[in-house]
Amino acid sequence: MSAAAQIDDLSFVHPGAELPALDHVSLSVPAGESTALLGPSGAGKTTLLALLDGRLRGWRGRVSALGAPLDPDHPPPRASRPDVGFVFQEFALVERSSVLRNVLNGRLGRMSPLRAVLGSPSPRDQEVARAALADCGIADLAERRVDSLSGGQRQRVAIARCLAQEPHLILADEPVSNLDPARAAEILTLLTGAARARGATVLFSSHQPDLARRFADRIVGMRDGRIAFDVAVGDLSDVTTADLYRETVAHPGIGLRAVT
Amino acid sequence: MRSREFGGFAAGMLVAGAVLWSFVTTDVELSRLLSAGPRIADFLGRMVPPDPTVMNEIVKGSAETLRIAILGSLGAVILSVPLGILASETIVSRAVFRPVRTLLAFIRAIPLILVAMLMVGAVGLGPLPGIIAVAFHATGMLAKFYAEAIDGVSREPIAALESAGAGPLAQLRYAIWPQMAPVVARDTIFRFELNLRESLILGVVGAGGIGFYIQTYVRSFQYDKAASVTLAVIAMVIAIEAINIVLRRRIA
Repeated sequence: MSAAAQIDDLSFVHPGAELPALDHVSLSVPAGESTALLGPSGAGKTTLLALLDGRLRGWRGRVSALGAPLDPDHPPPRASRPDVGFVFQEFALVERSSVLRNVLNGRLGRMSPLRAVLGSPSPRDQEVARAALADCGIADLAERRVDSLSGGQRQRVAIARCLAQEPHLILADEPVSNLDPARAAEILTLLTGAARARGATVLFSSHQPDLARRFADRIVGMRDGRIAFDVAVGDLSDVTTADLYRETVAHPGIGLRAVT
Repeated sequence: MRSREFGGFAAGMLVAGAVLWSFVTTDVELSRLLSAGPRIADFLGRMVPPDPTVMNEIVKGSAETLRIAILGSLGAVILSVPLGILASETIVSRAVFRPVRTLLAFIRAIPLILVAMLMVGAVGLGPLPGIIAVAFHATGMLAKFYAEAIDGVSREPIAALESAGAGPLAQLRYAIWPQMAPVVARDTIFRFELNLRESLILGVVGAGGIGFYIQTYVRSFQYDKAASVTLAVIAMVIAIEAINIVLRRRIA
């Protein structure tokens, strides 16, 4: 199977930090699947996702997303950025704009620069945006302002904006950490379902092993900036996810031995 | 706790001392205030009924004050856009925004009436010195407000649009401006209200507007006419405030 993202011996230290956020990480994210990055806060999940999105500079190693190598010193070319979508943990929506406007913002990279600046989306742009709204179950909220929405509704807007940019690789940073368990399952169902329907790869981070096990095809455990284990969910049968999580936190490496 | 109590005691003594010093060194004769009763009654009596024949002057003066406030505010906005950018902590370096902010604080420290007197000396009587004075004086506050509007923009939505492949102009239009616009509009309207209020008295120093008539009528003991002008000023201030409240509610 080809890889949607390929990472070899990647290390990164945040400016001003002493310990590396990513420490000699090697990882292959299979195309067309859902992969969960599982680990406690501070494990390096957010850093890894932001780096794959082309937002970090000054790392060492070799990284490619969708077959295109990333440059540690320069942002990716703008034309390729819509191919990698990002769902931000804090949503990163324009609060005073409408839901539809926020979702159309996801189309800006697919429009001609003139259309983008003049604010005249093509019929196709509008169609894609409307379809994304419908897929996220918020078609009836299109004209509402984001600052009038609940947390769960905002998360749907953030996902709809990401879908509107028609990405081939969707990176989602803790997409359900702010939601109650029922909402969390709903959101992950729609995210992984919409991605599968579009043939897109999903890489999402989480600190909840049960959700990772339920919604991912593959789980990559992270701790202290390293990969603790990397396992297909189908091979997890003799280990409970709770054990897996405890071992991930307490002894990186043991979880890996236990499941292989 | 103990030092706090002492601090409170010291502050109380300081205030009492300042009040005492003012009373002793100022020629305040309470007897004068008491005997002034009939004089004040006479003064107020001559103000009623207000003389309605000065309607033409009131309309003319008010219109000129309004023009001074509008053109002065326009000048302040034009000056505040570049100065606001240069005073922003997030766009320019400390070496730039520090001196610009100091300059703005310096401008704010000069009262409008003083600027107006200097401008009358420089360019002569009439509305022109008033307009220049308002533009100069208001820039001290408005540029600071604009800088704060720029610095208050949250970075995350901008990063999100950049990640989606939006260019710099599209980011400005759809992530930066929607966050700034309501703040800029609210602050500009607020400053316009202040400009209009403050320019009501500019005529007193010959810098144009309705203040000229207050000055003229009071000096020539035509208190009934002065009363009419005063009522017109009160009506204008209330109207401005009411309009501002409505506008602010719509922007929120």
